[in-house]
Formats: sequence, structure tokens, C-alpha cells
Amino acid sequence: MTISRDQIAGLVFLVFSLAYGFYATDIALLPGEEFEPINARTMPYVLSGLGAALSFFFVLASWRSAGTLKPLKLGLMAWPPVIALLVVMVIYGLILNWLGFVVSTALFLIAGFRIMGERRPKILFGVSIPFVAISWFCLTQLLDIYLAPGRLFSLLGG
Amino acid sequence: MLEGILTGLSTATMPVNLFMVFIGCFVGTFIGMLPGLGPISAIALMIPITYGLDPASGIILMAGVYYGAIFGGSTSSILINAPGCSGTVVTAFDGYPLAQKGQAGKALALAAYASFTGGTISAVFLLVAAPALASVSLSFQSADYFALMVLGLSAVAAFSGKGNILKALMMTVLGLMISTIGTDRSSGVDRFTFGRMDLVDGISFLLLAMATFALAEALMSVLKPEDNGEADEDAMRNLGSMKLNKEEIKEVAPVIARSSVLGFFVGVLPGAGATIAAFLAYGFERNLAKAKEKLKFGLGSLKGLAAPEAANNAASSGSFVPLLTLGIPGSGTTAIMLGALISYGIQPGPRLFLDNPEVFWSVIISMYVGNIVLLILNLPLIPYISRLLAVPRQVLVPMILLFSITGVYLVSFNSADILIMVIITVLAIVLRLLDFPLAPLLLGFILGGMLEDNLRRALLISDGGYSFIWERPITLTIFCITLFVLVAPLASGMWKKYRKKTVGYGASMQE
Repeated sequence: MTISRDQIAGLVFLVFSLAYGFYATDIALLPGEEFEPINARTMPYVLSGLGAALSFFFVLASWRSAGTLKPLKLGLMAWPPVIALLVVMVIYGLILNWLGFVVSTALFLIAGFRIMGERRPKILFGVSIPFVAISWFCLTQLLDIYLAPGRLFSLLGG
Repeated sequence: MLEGILTGLSTATMPVNLFMVFIGCFVGTFIGMLPGLGPISAIALMIPITYGLDPASGIILMAGVYYGAIFGGSTSSILINAPGCSGTVVTAFDGYPLAQKGQAGKALALAAYASFTGGTISAVFLLVAAPALASVSLSFQSADYFALMVLGLSAVAAFSGKGNILKALMMTVLGLMISTIGTDRSSGVDRFTFGRMDLVDGISFLLLAMATFALAEALMSVLKPEDNGEADEDAMRNLGSMKLNKEEIKEVAPVIARSSVLGFFVGVLPGAGATIAAFLAYGFERNLAKAKEKLKFGLGSLKGLAAPEAANNAASSGSFVPLLTLGIPGSGTTAIMLGALISYGIQPGPRLFLDNPEVFWSVIISMYVGNIVLLILNLPLIPYISRLLAVPRQVLVPMILLFSITGVYLVSFNSADILIMVIITVLAIVLRLLDFPLAPLLLGFILGGMLEDNLRRALLISDGGYSFIWERPITLTIFCITLFVLVAPLASGMWKKYRKKTVGYGASMQE
């Protein structure tokens, strides 16, 4: 017997709903709140029950329609650039506080262009650096948004 | 009402707001044209910008982006057979064949006229319907609101499920679950924060919208690149004449009028929206057409292009009715606008009409203005805007990613948000690959808090009993409709299967 991707998705959601319900028991209640008609745990309990019931029916339903799903052809999709872009986004989130908006954004754009297959330095640097400069000007000078300098530079400078 | 219209007129025609409509329509058209990026992403990308504006200007900008995105979506449907959003899928049925025949200009012009008429007719309807409905809904109580929200969520699930209502309902529940993360609004205790400070305020709606739509859509376009042939590039360069002759106008005028009215009413229904309106109008016109014309549908029929275009724009305006009068969005796009309005500190609903008349009326008036801008400015600019599509994707995709990330970061200044966004984006991509619709998730998330508040109030009023469900006829009626919306698709599916079985059985008996 093979399990279709819909069934796997249904089972994952079932487990998730049950785990959600389990963690709902951890929600603290104020003294006497358990006697209220509705408290902080009510909605999560209802949602957990609904989610579990729906995913259970979904798994059952997809059992009956198994074999009619179109194959997903994951192998034909362009995974490497997508994964690389996601990694670059994570790195951007990590370095933003350290290098500051200007440097990290320029690095992000250069890395993004490069991942998407752009090799010409004219585009890599010629688009990203003026773009960052213009956004920095708009944000700080026109919109009056304070952009904190990178912590690394403050450490080095101070 | 006249006073309201005048207030709206004076707000909407302020130079800054006119500028917003213009910018909104232009940017919306551009983003809407990019294959894969729909109106929800377009609006999500604009929200951070609107935080700096006053609420009326902000919502006017977003409404402009909405129309622009739908118009842009039809442009890419017609030129490259790649609908920018689901509402314009039908446009490609007859628009793309026309473009291939070298009549791209005519198709674009017809789409613009049909959209303009659809938008204008439904804006007039909105002008009449919205205040009337708002005054009725002033008598609504918490129980009715709770019932309406349940109806809205069920309807969205029932209609947007790509044929699988269970998947859509699961996504709605997931959205509701995500909305419970953070501090409970009534008791103040933390829920599902796991001791992390970053989660105490809950997940921001902007973050969720950006991650599930803008980021996920941009990355999906990298994952599954669409190949546009040389013929399409040729169609983009040589649009042909943009003029329609008298006979053609005579042919399509009644179609546009009918589809506009149909579109508006479909748009008002919670959950239906532009996509269903376009499909219905197309099917309706095909059934009405003479046998000879029927054959033309799908091969470049002008009627087949005009009907969905008028209907989807009319439905976009129609979907503002439940948003502005009840505070309950009927679609993913209006859900995101609701989120934005709430973050401006405005509570849409019947009180909006009384408390912030300038927002209420200026949105309606700016719809006219938006339609005129689309017709006068965007139509002649289409050849140039379509050239923007030639901006290489290797530059465009990282830019969209950056706009989405910084859009969220510059509001919260919390770099942990970026990491949460990446996690949600990965989940959204997996869900998209598994054909789970994401609009119900967003709607569930946005309505979650309000749903709980109204349920709490209804329960308190009825002393903890569930009698509020049947005590007031209006609440009971809404619950009955909800039940019907949920059961009807399942029952019709079962009925079809049963029919197939009995017909098959009968046929085999005859043999």
C-alpha cells in the first residue's frame, strides 16, 4: 500500500492539531476563569477538535480518491536557486543588526542577483548599490525613519 | 447621503489622494502583470508604504493597487497567456487567441473598456447598497457578527477550495490557530508563545500576508518558471490597432452591462469574488450566444473577453460592500485590506460609516477615479508598461524578496521577524505544492481575534448558554445559510456520483 501526498498532508495536520490541543492545556488560567463560559483555552480546544476532525475526514476522503492525483514532478523544479534564496534571506536576517541596513541590503541584492544567474558586474553592482543608496535616502531623509548603524561598526568605532 | 458623497468627493479629489490613485493603479498594473503575483501580493507590498499616510489615503492607494492589479492581470493574460491572478484566468480564454491573431491592441482596449464599465456600474451600486446595508447592520449584535464571520469563513472555504472544500476548511482552521498565538485579548495570558518574547504580540498580519503571498509567489515563480515563447514577445511588441468599430461596440455593449450587474452581486457574496464572477459571466454569455457565436468562444470571441473582464472588475468593487458595511471581508484581497485598516486604528463595520465617513465615502468615490485613471492613463501606457515585463527576472525576483522582507522589518525593527518569515514562506511553498489554498488561511487569521471576541460577548450576553444561536431570527438564518454553503457542495458531489452510478447501472441493464 502506498500513501499519497494528500494522506501524508492530512496525517501531518492531524498530528499538528492534536499537538496544538495538547499545548492548549498549558495555557495559564486566571483564578476562577475555568468557571467562565469562555476562557483563554476554549477557542484553542475547539480549533484543535475541528482541525483533528477535518484532517481525519480528509485522510479518509483521500483514501477513496487515491490514484487520481497528478504526479508532482518535484525533480523537474528549480530547487537549488529557491533554497539558496531562502538561505540568503536567513543570513540577511542574521547580519542585519550587525552590518546595518545599507551594507547588508547591498550584499543581499548582490547575492540574490548572482543566485538568479546574473554574472555581469555592471548589473550586480550597478543596480544594487544605487538602489540601496536611493532607498537609504528615501527612508532616512524623506520618511524620517531611523536606521540604526550596524552593531559591528559601533563596536569598532567605539 | 449627499453630504457623505460631498465629503468623499472632497477627500478623494485632494491632490495627494489623486496622486495615490494614480500611483496605486500604475504600481498595481505593473505588479499584476508579473505572472504569479496577484492582487493580494500587490496590496501586501504596498501596506508598509501606507503606514506613513493617513487612513483615507492609505485605503485609496490600496484600492487603486487592487484595480490596477486586476487590470494588469488581464494584460498578461492577453499578451502572454499567463494570468497574473486567478480572477483573470478566464480573460486568457479568448484574450490570448485574439493576441495571437495580431489583435492584441484591440483585446487590451476592449478589456479596458469592459473593466471601466464594470467598475463604474458597480461603484454606482456600491454607492446605494453600502449605506443601506450599513444602516441595517447597525442593529446587529455580537451573536450576528459571530454568525456572519462563521459564514464568511465557510463561504470562502466552500468557493476557493479548488474543488476540495476539506483542504480549504483545514487552511481556515490553521489560520484561526495561528491567530491564537500571542497574548489573549480578554484575560491577558500568553498563548502558544513558548516563552519567546518575539511571539508575545502574536504574528503580525503583514508578516503572514507577505510570507504566504508575496514571498511564496515570487519563489514559486523561480521554482516553476513559465516559458514564454517568441510569439508572445512579438505580441508584446506589436499590439496592433487599439480601436473598436461600431458593430463591435454594439455587439459587446449588452454583454458588458449584463456581466457588470452579475459581477457586482457575485462580488457582494462572501467568499465568491472576482474569479467566480468571471467564470459565471463567461458561462452565462456562452449559453446566451447563438449557436454560431458559441463556436467562437475560446477562439478569440470579443464577447468571451468582455464578459469576464466586466464581471471581475464589478466583483472587485462588490467585494467592498461586506468589508465596508459589516467589517467582514469576502475575499483574500479584502481580508488584507481589513488587516491594514485595523492596523491604522480603524474598525471597518457599520460604525465606519458614522465614525469615519471620510474613509467610507472617499473609498467609494476613489473607485470612480481609479477606473478613469485606468482607462485614460494606463491604456495608452500599456505598450510601455508591458516593456517593463522585459526587466530580467534575475533582477526582479531579489527585488520583490527585498521589498517583502524590508516591508515587514521596517515596521517592527525586529530581525527575528525575518527568520519567522522564512519559516512561514517554506511552509507556504509546501502547501502551495500540495494544492492547499492560502487565501482561507489569511482570512481565518485576520478574522480569528474578532471571531473569539464576538463569541465571548455573545456567550456573556446569553449567560453562558448557546441559546444565542437560535434566539434571534437573523442569527439563526445566517447559521442556516452557513450550513447550506458547507453542505451544498458535498451533497451535489454525492448526488453526481449517485447519478453516475444509477445511469451506468441502467445502461448496463439495457445492454
